[in-house]
Amino acid sequence: MFPETAQRLKAAAPLVSQTRLLKDLSRLYPHGGAFSLQSRRQISVSGCLSAKIQPPRKPREPVEIPGLEMVTYGERMHFVPGLAKPRYPRWERDYKDPRYYTAPPAQEMPLYKEKPCHVFNQRTSALEGVRQAAWLTKAKVIPGLPPHLLSLAENPENQIPDQDERVQNAIKHARFWDTTQERPRKEKYSNTLLLNLLHLCATLQSRNPAIGRRILAEDHSLAATWTRGDDLFQIRGRNGLLHTSMDPLPEVSGKDEVSQTADYVLETFYPVSPTIDLQQVNVYKEDVNCSGFTGDYPYPHAHTLYFLETTDSCKLRPEQFRAKMVMFTFGNALARAHKLYGTEPQQLLDRPVTVQAVGTNGRIFQFLVFQLNTTDLSGDDGIKNQLWLEDDVELYDFAKVRPLIKKKQVKVPAGLTGYKPEVFTKFLSLYLHGAA
Amino acid sequence: MAARTRLPLLFPKNLPPFRHKKLVHTETAVKEPAYPPIVASLTAKSKSARLRQVEEQVKKICASPVQEKLSLITRIQRKKFVVYPQTFSRNADRWYQHFTKTAYIPGLPEKFTPAPVEPVAEGSSPSPAALTAVPGIGDDAFADLRSLVTRVILQEQWHMKKRKPFLYRHQEQTFGPLLRSLVTELTHNLGKYNPLLLLSSLDISPQVNFYWRRGQRIIPKGHRRRHLEPTRFQIDDQPLCQIRITQQLPQFTPLEASYAAEVPEITYAPNLMPLFRRQYDNNIFTGAKLPDPACYGHTQFHLVPDRYHRDRMARMQQSDQVEVFLRANALASLFAWTGAQAMYQGFWNHEDVTRPFVSQAVITDGHFFSFFCYQLNTVALSVETDANNPRKNLLWGTESLRLYDSVQDGEVVGLNDDVLKLLVQFLMNQP
Repeated sequence: MFPETAQRLKAAAPLVSQTRLLKDLSRLYPHGGAFSLQSRRQISVSGCLSAKIQPPRKPREPVEIPGLEMVTYGERMHFVPGLAKPRYPRWERDYKDPRYYTAPPAQEMPLYKEKPCHVFNQRTSALEGVRQAAWLTKAKVIPGLPPHLLSLAENPENQIPDQDERVQNAIKHARFWDTTQERPRKEKYSNTLLLNLLHLCATLQSRNPAIGRRILAEDHSLAATWTRGDDLFQIRGRNGLLHTSMDPLPEVSGKDEVSQTADYVLETFYPVSPTIDLQQVNVYKEDVNCSGFTGDYPYPHAHTLYFLETTDSCKLRPEQFRAKMVMFTFGNALARAHKLYGTEPQQLLDRPVTVQAVGTNGRIFQFLVFQLNTTDLSGDDGIKNQLWLEDDVELYDFAKVRPLIKKKQVKVPAGLTGYKPEVFTKFLSLYLHGAA
Repeated sequence: MAARTRLPLLFPKNLPPFRHKKLVHTETAVKEPAYPPIVASLTAKSKSARLRQVEEQVKKICASPVQEKLSLITRIQRKKFVVYPQTFSRNADRWYQHFTKTAYIPGLPEKFTPAPVEPVAEGSSPSPAALTAVPGIGDDAFADLRSLVTRVILQEQWHMKKRKPFLYRHQEQTFGPLLRSLVTELTHNLGKYNPLLLLSSLDISPQVNFYWRRGQRIIPKGHRRRHLEPTRFQIDDQPLCQIRITQQLPQFTPLEASYAAEVPEITYAPNLMPLFRRQYDNNIFTGAKLPDPACYGHTQFHLVPDRYHRDRMARMQQSDQVEVFLRANALASLFAWTGAQAMYQGFWNHEDVTRPFVSQAVITDGHFFSFFCYQLNTVALSVETDANNPRKNLLWGTESLRLYDSVQDGEVVGLNDDVLKLLVQFLMNQP
């Protein structure tokens, strides 16, 4: 809508209340349009209502002469033409009423700091994706999962009886059978699929009691701080699902590989700054490190994080979703490392902290293993953290309620097609890592 | 003259000896009917034609496969009473008992009540051991479960940093995650003792719907005035979580035992409860569609929302309605679930169940737990089929029992072992 049309609307609807018009117009132009939102009275109701509207008259600027006392009509309690408008000091309530609270400007807040902090939160969509996340976390990206992890689920003892059939039933339940409607919506089926797969993996607890030493936690708040060069970074947010365990995960790569990472050069993407798309705040608490749990939590070690692509609040593209996975895994590892070894940067941790992550949108899975070797993240040299990432693996090709027919030929039949069992073996091996 | 005389002496007194038997063993020849059976017309504008149409529809439904049966029964949308399992109505449990033909039996069936201790015991050691442990689980395993439950409660209530809950969503945001974690952890842990749970399906916030007819009324006004109309009901429920299994649970009591049970009769119309009528899709749903292999129900878990929390009821001086609310909730939810399970197996109004369908429910507000068991003996609730139906459905239930008092300084204070035992027994239920 153009400003003129908006003005004509305003002119043509004199009986409509001004506030409603203002609200509608402010909704149309949320970021402030080129025209002013000052109300202009349409005094004449007769005559042509669709004539050209006069441009807004600029009010006369008040002249301030220091030392000269203005004679105002304040004492007379009514407007007197020729006298100045009285200016009163701002009135503040002497009690606190939460309905009428206005926050002070950032500079007056007690936690204000000159140096800005770059915050990565749930809604951040990093421009450069995994490369940016790897630079921020000082990590070396290794495509593909470590091979010895995958062999965990190849062992027939660690497999679920009737595994393929049960996984296919789980997918069909999530995609077809979970609703009274024709098909469930994407948020619903991705959530149901993840919970079904977790339920399947957890049935192995009868054979493998070490799996009983873990628990799922929903919606914990994470906070971690680190410096990188001159900049301060924080990661804050509420995660979806976290699998915590009583025992830490074993390290994935040995000491030799870790020391070899010192030769690796981090990938930069000049001219784009690595702090792009991160929220810059001047009001923050310093050195906040919280894994989401207080006190003597019986399951202190993070095992796996499960991410779902939420479609309503913020849609993240696959690369940005993977970056979010990396950052939150790193945040969990860092918070726990800070708790174990203190907040002083350590060149090489005695026992590297390993955390896994699985992200899905209901069909496509991303698997991630992060090993935190060092908390000394200020320089670009030295030992790096390691990151194994396997992206965009499809669990199945199609799950259609009605067949896809093109030119009277069935291209994709109804039901589940193209199921790939190796993807579930990867999921299971990540689940069993540390217990089998 | 000779022709007119009677001839009694010509009739032989002694008939040949085998002649009788030949007559006895002969069956009357089956005569093929020359004309088709005389039945009422199908298309005439008469009451008998309408009855015949209804008969044909019933025969058609009986002859079709299950998926078609469900769609034929729920095809036509009409105004129906929407029964809410969690309702503010007073004395809702008696009304719901009348709608679903259920008898309430206080206490739990014999399976869950411990056998009374024999006064003459062989030694003091066997009886305490039998009392403390759940059948099928040793003392050590029970101690493990106890510590697991403590850890789950502490994680949600003490260790995890949570934001302040929203207004009137305190229950959903504090105790919802606690109950879900409790159910998932206990189910996974008890998988080694109850193999049914290994093949089970755990649903979070599933839909459970049921549609049925019970009773009739005379339409007071309109072009169909003075006609008889069956009263239709629909339950749309959303439990917090439920466990569905692949095999059916065994019955608590035989079908015949329900003949003696008493169901309260309410002579008032349902809309006086208050209950309101709407017209929308008739759904019959257990939580998953028909092709799902886990079509039988095991246990449902319900959370009492803020609106019906006992503190709020006490503030409104309706503390007596707290237990009533729990019973009504269990009744409606479990009737809907078992009814839907029965319909998935092909039983409906005119084809009554041949075996009872059994399910369990736990209703809690975070601190107080109530346990309910339901046995569905009959689905034939409409006027035509209920006339000579002596079967009644049965609901067993407990009063609300406290699981733990509070969480202080990282410790759970006052964890009640009996309630925990009942919970474990419920989850251990298997054929």
